[in-house]
Amino acid sequence: MKNNIELQNVSKAYKDFKLQNISFDVPQGCIVGLIGENGAGKTTTIKCILNITKAEGNIKIFGKDSKENEKEIKEEIGVVLDDSFLSEYLTAKHINSIMKDVYKTWDENKYKNLLKQFQLPTNKLIKNFSSGMKMKLKIATAISHNPKLLILDEPTSGLDPVVRNEILDIFRNYIQEDETRSILLSTHITTDLEHISDYIVFIEKGKMVFHLPTDELLENYGIIKCSKEDFLRLDEKDYIKYKKEKYQYEVLTNNKNDIRKKYNITTIDKPSIEDIMLFYIKGEK
Amino acid sequence: MIKGLLKKDLYNLASYKASLIIIVLFCGIAIVGTEAINWGSIIICTIVGMIALSTFSYDEIAKSNKYILTLPTNRKEIVKEKFILAIGATILGGILGLLLTIVIANVMNYLRPENMININYESLITTSIGGMFGISLIQAIQIPSIFKWGAEKGRIQMFILLFIIIVIAAGACFLIMKANLNIDMEMLENFINQFGLILLVALMIVMYSISYVISYRIYKNKEE
Repeated sequence: MKNNIELQNVSKAYKDFKLQNISFDVPQGCIVGLIGENGAGKTTTIKCILNITKAEGNIKIFGKDSKENEKEIKEEIGVVLDDSFLSEYLTAKHINSIMKDVYKTWDENKYKNLLKQFQLPTNKLIKNFSSGMKMKLKIATAISHNPKLLILDEPTSGLDPVVRNEILDIFRNYIQEDETRSILLSTHITTDLEHISDYIVFIEKGKMVFHLPTDELLENYGIIKCSKEDFLRLDEKDYIKYKKEKYQYEVLTNNKNDIRKKYNITTIDKPSIEDIMLFYIKGEK
Repeated sequence: MIKGLLKKDLYNLASYKASLIIIVLFCGIAIVGTEAINWGSIIICTIVGMIALSTFSYDEIAKSNKYILTLPTNRKEIVKEKFILAIGATILGGILGLLLTIVIANVMNYLRPENMININYESLITTSIGGMFGISLIQAIQIPSIFKWGAEKGRIQMFILLFIIIVIAAGACFLIMKANLNIDMEMLENFINQFGLILLVALMIVMYSISYVISYRIYKNKEE
């Protein structure tokens, strides 16, 4: 399987934060979710990939060095950033006129159809759009030059469930249209990823915790709810983190089938991605 | 790509249409009232030149710089576009100021033949180029300042830099006067009349070139 993004030991140091040795791939035809709490390093990772900030390590996009082939690569990428877009004193019509001269492959018809589909007005200033409308405009702008790769930083934050669902549908359709496409999607709303992602990359305090297929994560991970006595029987190697609750212990394992056999435990809950993330962040070991 | 960036800035500047018309009207009234027609072109040129720099503020408010870096462009083109816009605005401002002054003065002469305004075209052109030189000096200092410190802080730093330049220039004049140097004023005047405009234009080119190199060096290493 070919990769659209390859990161090897990417590091970036700021005065008060360090991103350390991040390595993962974004294969063609796949949606990769980048998760972590606020300030974990998700946006910094995206900024490094897009060469917005200078980083150490190797970054290849479409098999090419991201710095040496920057312009050529960016022709094939669509980007949505949570906190940054063009001025709000522009209209959707202005964006079309600007982007025609930005991207060689800008598809004006596709853009206009997307505006219609999203029910976005063409002559209204962006500053008068709702949060959902602004995000839809950013997405329409990002996909209207038919990019091979979409990089999305928190595209669903602050949106209501209806709009969020609509937006996730757009991403599903985008990836289904062409098997060489892929999406890197950073979010702290992990429920979105359970439905659409193929891989999950979890970053915590600037370090990569894991990079796993979503199915594997949801199938193999489990939460054991047990008494103190049962918890003390568990070998430390068999669990990742635990949380001491008022009446019981909750233990996260990444090998629930083996644990079930080894300790004869019957009740192991299936965790959500959010549960797993919270265990890694808040749990003890 | 530069064309797209220019379009972005020009669409943003379109919101200044009304302000610009009001300013031009005020300049017209000032010309009629004071008959100091040379000032009209300087004011219009300065305003148009300064308005071009307000595009930095639009980018800063929308945090567009980060987004622009995700588009198929590079930092060199981004800096280049800002200079094209600034230089274009200076030239446009100079021409617009000159033409408007001529039109307004001639209209007034037609309407009030008893109170003719004396139009010295040569002096008007010299003043317009002088105005263009002034605004290009401000831009040449302000653009790298904005790239370094941002639109808000950059404006303050620009005034500090401008103040330092004025102090140095005034100091140099004071020292020359104190040194009692025997300057042939007639020769100096002849020289200025003959080469003044060429010198001003050449200086503008040099200033913009230095400013561009500094701006690019700053922006090349800037983290967004």
